This record gives sequence, structure tokens and C-alpha cells, in this order.
Amino acid sequence: MADETFLSDDLLRQLMSVGEVDLLVGILSHRSANTMRRAAHYIEKSLQQNFVRQRMAVISVDGGAVEDPGSDERYGDGEPGNNSYSKGLSTLRTIHRITAAFNGAPSPGLALRTILSSSDLLRAKACAVVSPATSSTSPEWVANLLRPAFRDNFDFVAPLYSRHKFQGLLARNLLYPMTRALFGRRIRELYSDEWAFSNRLGGFCLNEDVWHEEPVRSRPEAWMGISALTSDFRCCQVYLGEKPPPPDGAGPDLVEVLRQTVGSLFWLLETHQQAWMERKGSEPLPTFGPDHAVTAEPMELNRIRMFELFQTGVKELGPILQSILSPETLSSIQGIATLDQNLFRFPQELWVTMLYEFAASYHHSVINRDHLVQALVPLYRGKIYSFLTEFSEASAADMEAVSENLCLEFERQKPYLTEKWKAGVEVKT
Amino acid sequence: MRVTIVQGLEQAYYNLVHMIAEFLPRLLVMLVIILVGLVAAYLLGHVFRAVLRLTKLDRVSEDAGASRVLRMADLPSMTELLSRSVFWITWLGFILIGVSVLGVAGLQEQISRLFRFLPEVFIAMLILFLGLVLANFLSRAALLASVNAGVRSPKIWSWSIRFVIWILAISMALDELGLARQTVLAAFSIVFGASMLGLAIAFGLGGQDLARRALERYLGNSAKEKYKEPQPL
Repeated sequence: MADETFLSDDLLRQLMSVGEVDLLVGILSHRSANTMRRAAHYIEKSLQQNFVRQRMAVISVDGGAVEDPGSDERYGDGEPGNNSYSKGLSTLRTIHRITAAFNGAPSPGLALRTILSSSDLLRAKACAVVSPATSSTSPEWVANLLRPAFRDNFDFVAPLYSRHKFQGLLARNLLYPMTRALFGRRIRELYSDEWAFSNRLGGFCLNEDVWHEEPVRSRPEAWMGISALTSDFRCCQVYLGEKPPPPDGAGPDLVEVLRQTVGSLFWLLETHQQAWMERKGSEPLPTFGPDHAVTAEPMELNRIRMFELFQTGVKELGPILQSILSPETLSSIQGIATLDQNLFRFPQELWVTMLYEFAASYHHSVINRDHLVQALVPLYRGKIYSFLTEFSEASAADMEAVSENLCLEFERQKPYLTEKWKAGVEVKT
Repeated sequence: MRVTIVQGLEQAYYNLVHMIAEFLPRLLVMLVIILVGLVAAYLLGHVFRAVLRLTKLDRVSEDAGASRVLRMADLPSMTELLSRSVFWITWLGFILIGVSVLGVAGLQEQISRLFRFLPEVFIAMLILFLGLVLANFLSRAALLASVNAGVRSPKIWSWSIRFVIWILAISMALDELGLARQTVLAAFSIVFGASMLGLAIAFGLGGQDLARRALERYLGNSAKEKYKEPQPL
């Protein structure tokens, strides 16, 4: 049952006016009226084309959308940019429009909680969440996300994208292989802006008392996905299409991304430790459409600066890394940091061992946890430099093989993490 | 004359015997109090040590960076330091009570002054400890932020923050103890003011180009110079 005490009177009034629906689509606002209109347009188009008999609603969780400078007004009626997505209720067929307004942009966690509560009160059978920031969103994306949850009784639907081989490097080198090895299921895009879920999973998550936790406030989708995996809900993946990179300068910087995603993953390891410790190996998930795709066009990147930041980090953060890593691992990292940049390689085994030691140190709180995750940033830069150098000429098939090898290395070393995790913290006196 | 001398000696002997008769029981009581205090202090220290080990204070101390400073000063671990402090403070309290039983004139006043001063000593120690913890936490945060942002000489920022907080904590602790209040205040103002003035002059005269570049960067005139990384997600 939804705890509607945090919902505003205005939102409750709108929800009561709507009554019940079959499908709900939530839009996480990015304070941009134009992108909101575009997303709303695609969602409504998708619902009209693919779910003609269902009762539907679209909820925009809005932090006070502002007009983009130079807002594009070239679209006609029903097209993005025509101000059709205004606050309040207006019915088009059976699609209701709901706006949950906040003073200032709500955290992603609060936005998801609002969507879950609304979904619960509207008794929606399936719900999808989309981000207007994704420029390639199309009507097919929304339909593809909703279908497995609505028609095939899946509880959690994760997206699959087509990406350039040097995009999503954190997901490729850390988040995906580590999640796969530990939780035993192969979800490629756990940290994504689009996903869908059933009313069963929505109700389950809504009743969890974790909404005040920072990892849930910042990356609620990962927590929801892991909750689904570990509580034996039915999960699947669905191919959506190409995911272009955000424009330069958009989105948080690397440090903030690592704090949110890696911090969230380490926290999830702690809160679900019984579930991951018992699992062995990994299983693929049912997948709708083609599997993810990797493209390999040439791309210009500034790698030298990345290597410099790695070397400086290893040198300056020595005492901090000493309290996180074992002496052998630290010594190996300090050893490779002295190599010439043309000869430098970050071995897979060392990368995995190091990450597992970071996770165990996070668990044992050897230093402040936020500081611990920040200490990972220079090492991640070193790994990415090595990755970019090593695979600059690699084909898409080569990249897949490399990715698979890394996943297997994470699985092979899992007992090491379990051992470090269970070991008592060694206080250096 | 002779009688007077004999009477005087008798009186002195009588006084001495009387004093010894009065003093010996007090001395005995003092020794008993000190001995009981030793046992009580030992037990209290032992219990305190066990409680601190249960609460894993050493881990918190390690996290806050306080243990590193203790090691640098060749001091034992935080648990050991606090439990030894409890032992000595308890025993010292008993010793002072025992000495006061002797009833030596002038000593009573000094002992009571010492007891009145103890709370201030504790508060000063607490201020120093909190300052130490805060300095380590903030200096580590500054070091991480500087390293990750690619700032040159990140340790300078980290040590500057640590130094300023230490100076502030020491000044506050000395002020709490009431030791050379005016001198401490003046010294702090001079050191802090001189540091800031030095930085301002160094940045203003020696780093005009750096200041201009920094301002341009923050005002967005040279956005192209900003380092771009591959998208992590």
C-alpha cells in the first residue's frame, strides 16, 4: 500500500480524477520544457499505436521545467515544442496527463517513489520510466519497455542499447562484470535512464524502508534491479536501439558518476550480501529483440591527460590506498604506475583483485566510505587509459571477447571477495 | 632556668608525640585510600578498555586518521590511550583525596584549585581531539578532490587545511584553559592574517597569469581547454 503522505494534495487530486489505469509511464524531468514536450509526444504516440484498448496515464515528475534558450517552435500540433504538455489534466483518448510538481528538481529516488506511489494508487499493471534527456528516445522504445511487463508477466525490464566500443566504459569494465559475477545474472544496463517494472515489483519496492538512503536517492534504478534479482522476480532485457552519448558538458562529471554508481553498487553488496554470497556462476536473462550491439568507428580521445591523472593519483593517495588495498595489490599498482605510458597496461587480474579489495574495505569501513569511492577515480582512469590504448584498433567482435574474459575473471575471483568480506577488519596499530 | 629548659623540652616532646599520634592514623588512612584507589583505577581502566574494544573505537580512530597521528607521536592506540588515561585520572583523584586527609595547611587550597581546573582540562582535550579528527577528515577530502580534479601540488591544499584547523583547535584549547589568553589571540590573529596576506600577495603579484586563466576558465571563456573524458555510462 502506498504511503501517500509525501504526495502533494494537487497530485492526489489528479490521481483520484484519473481512477484506475492499466499502464503508467513516468518521465523524470530534467528541468527542460522542450525535452519534456518531446518525450511526452513520443510516449503518447507509442501508447496510441501499441496499446489502443488500455487505460493509460503519463506522469511527469517535474522540478519546475524551464524553457530552453532558443526553444525550437517549428513543430506543429502534436509534435514536440507545441506546448501541448502543460500542467494539469487533459484527456486524449484514454491517456491521462499528470504532473507531480516539486519546488526544485527532486532527487531521482524521490521521483521514482512518486511514480511508484502513483502507480500503486492507480493500480497500474505495468509502468515504464523514461528520461527526456535521452535524445534517441522513440515511440518504439516505450512500447518495447512496457510489453514484457504488461503482456509477458516480467517484473523488471532492463534496456539494451547499441553503443560505440568506447562508450559506457564504466559499465563495461566495472558495473556489468561485477554485478554479473556477484549476483549471478547478466543485466548489461543496470544503471540506465529507461526501464520498466510490474505492479508486483513496484509494490514490493514501495514498502521497503530505504528511501532515505543516499544510494537509493541517487540511483534508484540499480537498487530496484538488484531487489528484483535477489527476490526472485522475473527479469528480462529488451533491445531499444542506439544510445548516443550526451552532449559535451552535459551530466555529472566522472567523480560524481563513480560516487553514485560504484557507491551504490558497494552499498547493494552490503544490503544483499546473503543473496550474492550463495550464488555461483552467472545465467543469461531472457532477451527481447537482438542482443546489445557494439560499434567500432574511430574516435578521438585525450588519453595522455588520463594517464597523468592516474600516475599523480597513485603517488599522492598512497597513504589512503594503503588503508584500502592489501600490500601486494598496492605494490603492483605502484609498480605499473612507474611504467612508460607506451608500455603501460593495467592487467585484468589486478583490476579485479583491486576492485574486490575496495568492496571489502567499503564493507569494513576502513575509511570514510565516500572518500573510499573517490580514491578509486585515478585507478579507474588508469584502467581506462590501458583499455583505450590496448583496444584502439579492436573490432566489435574482439571487444565482446575481451568483455566476456573480464566477466569470467570477476567470477573466478569471487571467492577472494567472500574471504576478504568475512575477514575481520585489520586495524593497523 | 634549668626547670624552664626541662619544661620546654618536655613540652616539645609532648607536642611531637601528639603530632605523631595525630599524623600516623592520617598517614595510614592516606595510604589505604591510595591503595584502594590503585585497585579501583586498575579495575575501572580494565572495564573501560573492554568496553572500548567492544565498540571498536580503534576502527573509528583509524578512519578519522587520529591513529596515524598517535603513531607519529609514538603513542599507543586510541583504546589503550583512553583506558590508561582513565586509570591515571582515577588514581590521581584518589591520591589527591588521600593527601587532603593529611590536613597539611595550604595544600587543601591547591588541591581544590586543581580539582576545579580538571573540567577545563577535559574540555580542552576534547577540543583538541575533535580538531584533530576534523582536520584529518577535511584534509583527506581536499586531497581527494584536488587529485581527482587534476590540481597541481594537491598536498599543499590538504596540508593548508590541516594546518589552519590545527592552529584553530590549539588556540581554542589554550583559550579554554585560560593560558595567556591575550597572547594566544594575538598570535592566532597574526599567524592567520599573515598567511592570508601572504597568499593574497603571492597570488596577486606572482600569479597574475594563473589568476587570469582561472577567472577565464570559471567564466567560461576557455571552455575548450577543459579536459574531456570518455562517457562512463
